[in-house]
Amino acid sequence: MSDEVLLRATDVVKSFPIRGGKLGTKKVATAVNGVSLDIFKGETLGIVGESGCGKSTLARCLVQLMPVTSGTVSFKGEVLTGRSRRQLRDTRRDMQLVFQDPYASLNPRRTVGDIVADPMRINKMGTDAVINARVADLFKTVGLDPSYVQRYPHEFSGGQRQRVGIARALSLNPSLVVADEPVSALDVSVQAQVLNLMSDLQDEFGLTYLFIAHDLGVVRHVSDRVGVMYLGQLVELADADALYDEPLHPYTNALLSAVPQLNDGTEVPRERIVLSGDVPDPADRPSGCPFNPRCPSATDQCRTEVPVLLEIRPKRFVACHHPLTF
Amino acid sequence: MLLFIVRRLISAFLVMFSISVVVFLIFFATPGVNPAARIAGRSASPEVLAHVAAEFGLNRPLPIRYGLMMWHLLFQQDLTSYVNIGVKVIPQITGAAPITLSLIVGAAVLWLLAGVAGGLVAAANRGKWIDPLIMFGGIAAVSIPAYWLGEVVNLVTQNKFHSLFSWLPAPGYVSITQSPWQWALHLIFPWITLATLYAGVYARVLRAELVNALNEDYVRTARAKGLSERRILVKHALRCSLVAIVSLFGLDFGSLVGGAALLTEVVFGLNGIGMLTYNSLLNLDLPVIMGCVMYGAFFIVLASAVVDVLYAFLDPRVRSVH
Amino acid sequence: MSTNEHAAPVLELTDLSVSFSTRQGLIRAVDGLSLSVGRGEVHGIVGESGSGKSVAMYSLLGLTRDANASITGSVRFEGREILGSGDKAMQPIRGGEIGMIFQDPMTALTPVYTVGWQIVEQIRQHTDLTKAQAKARAIELLGEVGIPDAKRRVDSYPHEFSGGMRQRVVIAMAMSCNPKLLIADEPTTALDVTTQAQILDLMSRLRDVHNSSIVIITHDMGVIAEMADRVTVMYAGRPIEAGPELDVVRHPRHPYTWGLLGAVPRIGERSERLATIAGNVMSPLDVPVGCAFAPRCAYVMDECAARPPWSDGDHRSACWLSDTQRVALRRKES
Repeated sequence: MSDEVLLRATDVVKSFPIRGGKLGTKKVATAVNGVSLDIFKGETLGIVGESGCGKSTLARCLVQLMPVTSGTVSFKGEVLTGRSRRQLRDTRRDMQLVFQDPYASLNPRRTVGDIVADPMRINKMGTDAVINARVADLFKTVGLDPSYVQRYPHEFSGGQRQRVGIARALSLNPSLVVADEPVSALDVSVQAQVLNLMSDLQDEFGLTYLFIAHDLGVVRHVSDRVGVMYLGQLVELADADALYDEPLHPYTNALLSAVPQLNDGTEVPRERIVLSGDVPDPADRPSGCPFNPRCPSATDQCRTEVPVLLEIRPKRFVACHHPLTF
Repeated sequence: MLLFIVRRLISAFLVMFSISVVVFLIFFATPGVNPAARIAGRSASPEVLAHVAAEFGLNRPLPIRYGLMMWHLLFQQDLTSYVNIGVKVIPQITGAAPITLSLIVGAAVLWLLAGVAGGLVAAANRGKWIDPLIMFGGIAAVSIPAYWLGEVVNLVTQNKFHSLFSWLPAPGYVSITQSPWQWALHLIFPWITLATLYAGVYARVLRAELVNALNEDYVRTARAKGLSERRILVKHALRCSLVAIVSLFGLDFGSLVGGAALLTEVVFGLNGIGMLTYNSLLNLDLPVIMGCVMYGAFFIVLASAVVDVLYAFLDPRVRSVH
Repeated sequence: MSTNEHAAPVLELTDLSVSFSTRQGLIRAVDGLSLSVGRGEVHGIVGESGSGKSVAMYSLLGLTRDANASITGSVRFEGREILGSGDKAMQPIRGGEIGMIFQDPMTALTPVYTVGWQIVEQIRQHTDLTKAQAKARAIELLGEVGIPDAKRRVDSYPHEFSGGMRQRVVIAMAMSCNPKLLIADEPTTALDVTTQAQILDLMSRLRDVHNSSIVIITHDMGVIAEMADRVTVMYAGRPIEAGPELDVVRHPRHPYTWGLLGAVPRIGERSERLATIAGNVMSPLDVPVGCAFAPRCAYVMDECAARPPWSDGDHRSACWLSDTQRVALRRKES
């Protein structure tokens, strides 16, 4: 990990118009609400949050799969937001995605060899022979037998399919790989294989990862830094160890305490904080801090004033009027 | 709800407008069609033709002609046939509509009962002999042409075994206001004939829907609640499968009332909308064609609106969107 | 029984096997599962997908509708043999004496009825309460599982609830007839972690109040640690380790359990590399005659070609490793 910023997001907002409400009134659901962050070259930035917190939408906005409503995203110093598809083409090659569902994200009618080769063919990366040799290389890299290239996705298990998805993402030598819940559809034993593979690849190719997941253990395991999202906002961002050992935002604290622990003597037991209620509707956001209706330490200030993400200690960002102290 | 109705009305208007325009244009684009010649008769002189054309407004530009026709059809309601001079279109339709409606409503009741019963029994007995039997019966019923089945029915009831069916009146139609008993008696075999064709489809569609529903998680929950298989089938699986049946029924009912039961009408000598449309097409009688088309389109649009309302009634998830 | 030595078990499975004959061959989904659940006890069954943990529980209630399924062994509930009883005999038990909670609360409720209607339906199936009485009870139950404004929400449809709230409804329904046993099939897998905490909390509270026994099926060792008194680990349809939760988590005996525990990334510490189990979850058609785990096991020996016996005692396992070998291997690893 270096100090070189690979991707910078400034005040990114993404909202969707939704149907409903009274005659003629248009409502807006704000999925991402003013997120600013930097991704440094060579690091793994983990984004964690519960379903509906906007983490996947944020990822799609960052790699320009979705236009942002406002805010800017720049990659390697160049502003991406507002550019046309054509202008984005070269940058797209440099940012690749790995998706959650290895069953749905691979075209069932194409062989896995073609799936991995297609991005290279589209980008005219060489003759068929060159591309085929590279496919075989990539298969070895991700731990698949190169003789499998002629097989179809349904002939593989979930873990193997995710390896195919990773090989495809690597085929264009990207500098940034965005992985959206890459292991949540896999069994634990297979999940560990894929996580280990991803970390080996990072070392080998100097990749930068944006790793989106809801599993706090997985995120801690892979990430150098972790951002916590709640209702479209980044509520805390810090080095992984610092964040997990000393959460400053009450939501981070509740989230960590909710994870069932194995109690096998290796972990310090955490006191369980059970939050009441559900995450609010993104179309009907509470005023002030998004977390205030469920926060055990909310005050009047929290109900009126939106807290901003501040660096309250070196490399520790938190958006809270009353951060926890340790 | 108000928004829903307004939207529905606008879309109904647009549908009917576009259908009428298309019919109108096709008619005038058809080679060999000269309405003036139709009205004036085969050997009319050019002067007479010109006179007739002027009198009926046939020498005016197309949009004006279209406007005049719709004005007379819908607002003056005095549009007359090109073929049977002086015969108004609207009374012909209002005369034929009750016959078609009687035929379709009665048949619909029968096919719904038979289709739902067949689908339920088949789905409840998956893997037993009765399931493939019903499904085969269904496909056989669908495959029989209406006129063939109708002719066979006529042959049996009116001719070969007429002694057994002596209680049955000759084919034709008696209004329900005149004698409900005679009305039903005249229509009983047309009903059965038409219902046979549709019951097969409904049984098969419903069985497929039920089998899907029976694999749903909520059915597993219902079983885990200790409910009887019968209750699960009717209260849970059937209730959730009704949406498919309702949408199918809406389309079928709309098009049948609109004249799609022509073959059944012909075979049983019922002068319904199907016959009227058919005859007007044979004679290229534009005003009547237009009247029949507008009437048919109205029912199809109406049926799909009713289906939408029923959706909301059957499925609370649809309700909350409106 | 360690927790309830004198009481008769509520549920006792002996050598339960479930197999399906398919075109590709015979699938032994459950192969010789034995376990016993005492009164007020929470028994966890843990395993990955295809381990047969859910099939076993569905089969014992007769919820496996596949005509090609064959179920053998013995299932004693409250001392009565219930395996093989027909639907008629099982109906009072299902929902009345054994309640079930399912994995996906989004699909577990019939979408076209209000949640109140669905709870009332179950209550009236098993009791003589009138509609009004049953509805009052439904409101009471919804309140007990923590649904705010239960009096109004009883008339809401399932889609009007969030996932966590729907799971509460499913739990209220399962609890509605005061069952002696609750079977929960991955009750929190589809939920977010804070919602999972709420639901696990609720289940523990209900267990304490009603003293009902619970069988909880999960793939998550954390949930087991949180909830279970005893645990059975399953692999490829077979039980491979069973015992008191703390013993199994702290002193796992089977190499598969070692792998399972080592593969979970913890939130408390950051390890450099996760322990992995080589290979993939196997196809149920390829399960070997000997130890089912042998093809993926790092410590496979000649003995493993034969099926290892189920050891005796409170903490049992099915593995050919001797205790001394096991201790040596574990020491070498750490």
